[in-house]
Amino acid sequence: MNRSRMKKISIAFGILGVAAILLLHYMVFFWVPTESSMGIVQRIFYIHVPSWWVAFISFGVVALCSGVYLWLGDDRLDAAAVTAAEGGMIFTTIGLLTGPLWGKIAWGAWWTWEPRLTLALLLWFIYLGYFLVRRSTLNLERGKRLAAVVGIIGVLDIPLIHVSVSWLRSLHPEAVVLNPDGPTLDGSMLATLLVGLLAYSLIFVCLFTVRYSTELVDRATQMQDV
Amino acid sequence: MIDFMKYLRLNRIGLVCLIIVVCCPAVALAQSGEAPLGSQTLGRAYWHVFVAYAIAWLLVACWLASISRRLGRVEGRVDDSVDD
Repeated sequence: MNRSRMKKISIAFGILGVAAILLLHYMVFFWVPTESSMGIVQRIFYIHVPSWWVAFISFGVVALCSGVYLWLGDDRLDAAAVTAAEGGMIFTTIGLLTGPLWGKIAWGAWWTWEPRLTLALLLWFIYLGYFLVRRSTLNLERGKRLAAVVGIIGVLDIPLIHVSVSWLRSLHPEAVVLNPDGPTLDGSMLATLLVGLLAYSLIFVCLFTVRYSTELVDRATQMQDV
Repeated sequence: MIDFMKYLRLNRIGLVCLIIVVCCPAVALAQSGEAPLGSQTLGRAYWHVFVAYAIAWLLVACWLASISRRLGRVEGRVDDSVDD
């Protein structure tokens, strides 16, 4: 895919993403009703869940690209993996910071070492390790391969985070959308959440394509210099 | 490439708009209490919501700024190689 086409794609996703964000903010602050038991602080939910959604997708992309990179050795796949990992770290950080802001009001504590929170923090550290491992060796190719292995191992934490609420004793609220009995949210809240998921996904795809194309040009110019 | 930089600068303007959008709800929330006008205060929960949304968009803005800086560096390197 050439750069002008990627540019068009990123612009299209960027415009749609900004429109979705504007709609999300209108829905969150002017349209959706306030949740009866948690009150106003429940509105954090509409950015907290989408941030984890995008983070999980990002780390899924990292694992997929890393796996195929180890198989085929195509440098573009490593560029895609490192780009997705960067985005994943940003959105994981958003999830880890917005959660305690909700928890302080709902639980009375910023943080508890309960299974889901601990596994989520572990995910952040695994992908921090992904970047550290890349730079841990003078041999760039070796660093890329080691990071790819970390990227694949790290993604195994995601299903554990998902099932930790039901399999282990957890304070964290259970899934309200991906629930075996179907979504348990009120219709307007579900609609707001879906707009949030869409907005975050569009923004991620927009930034991913810009960052990925920059990474490709960066690597190409470095190769020329060498 | 120059068009691309212009596009990123436009994105920065968009980000400023986003920050305004994030700040507006705080004002709206401040006005939505049951207390009569003039005696309203922001409850702690309201501030937590405001801070959560501000953090989210600030981090996204930081990623965008990092991409923009990296792109600028790459553009500079490409220009240098063309001059050589």
